[in-house]
Amino acid sequence: MDLSVINTLAATVAENEAIGRKAGKAIALGVGAGLGTVGPGIGVGYIFGKVIESVTRQPEMRDEITSIQWLGFALTEAIVFYAFIFGLIAFFLS
Amino acid sequence: MKARLLAALAPLVLLLTPASASALQVNENFKPQNEFKLDPWISIHIGGLDLSINKAVFYVILAAIFTCLTMVWIARRMQARPNRVQTAVEAAFTLMRDNITRGNMSDAMAKKWFPFVGALFLFIWFSNMLGYLPLPTNTEHKVSIFGAQIPSLSLYAATANLSVPLALTLIVWFSYHVEGVRAKGPVGYMKSWIPAGVEGAAAGPIFVIEVISHFVRLVSLSVRLFANILAGHLLILFMGGGLVVLLNLAVAGSVVLGLVTGTMAIAFFLFEVGLVATLQAFIFATLTAIYLGGAVAESH
Repeated sequence: MDLSVINTLAATVAENEAIGRKAGKAIALGVGAGLGTVGPGIGVGYIFGKVIESVTRQPEMRDEITSIQWLGFALTEAIVFYAFIFGLIAFFLS
Repeated sequence: MKARLLAALAPLVLLLTPASASALQVNENFKPQNEFKLDPWISIHIGGLDLSINKAVFYVILAAIFTCLTMVWIARRMQARPNRVQTAVEAAFTLMRDNITRGNMSDAMAKKWFPFVGALFLFIWFSNMLGYLPLPTNTEHKVSIFGAQIPSLSLYAATANLSVPLALTLIVWFSYHVEGVRAKGPVGYMKSWIPAGVEGAAAGPIFVIEVISHFVRLVSLSVRLFANILAGHLLILFMGGGLVVLLNLAVAGSVVLGLVTGTMAIAFFLFEVGLVATLQAFIFATLTAIYLGGAVAESH
């Protein structure tokens, strides 16, 4: 058996490995950022649902509830971006 | 209704079929990450420190100048019968003073820290809003206008760079610890981290958790602002043409994809300008006030 076969094989493996690494990064970004939106999505829905519930129960508290609502919304929504940023780090910086 | 929806989605589904996927030639020349690359404009190196003037520095200075000039200008031209701008600024002032600062700390503390919290809010707000104004700062690609090489328009914000939110967060973090220590003494301040009602052996682990949570605040406060603005800019970049250039489809595909993503780009732009920019400034200022108020409060 010729030794050059090993070189060819090694080259193919290296090429596949490079493609695999690229695919892995893309999967990391897609799956990571995608799954990361699930939890905050539920959270944001829960916040707005509760706000509607509270305002219908006590309409006179509307102003106070609205300011808390945006605080809760922004804090929850930011979690999406934590996942997204780490996905981007995996994609571009690794 | 359903049929129309399906018809609208059909081109998108076609894009996802294996045949088109194998024909997909991703445009390698377009590097979206370069939109956030910082090329030194004026190179300044002192020892190992890189103090070059670049896009981010320009945006920080611009935001600072805008904050100071607008506020001083409006304060100088105060009238008994306010015009529309003055009414808006007065509403913002009331929001900062009453909701953000006084709502979260005692009156004595609020008097002392209102200028800081207010300045923080305004600076972050101006910085975020400047980020949605296309300015000629892209030195990588230049446009020739009557022979003059002018940098092409691009979107960038000082807060879309981790350094700026991190610097602001560090200032906040150290100030609230210093305030806490001044109010209660070093030992008293550490003790106040343990919630009331926790006694005996449980206090140790809870104290460790509280210490960790104080360090997590450093990350969460800075990354929240940074990631929100960066993600907003990336969404606008990709939807407003980046995706079409990157995917390099045939003409028909590009037009369909461009129409869909272009509409989304406008929606995201309005969402970012109308809500996220103000909301993030508000959140940062509110959390600062909460941390400052919590550090000096009697019970945890």
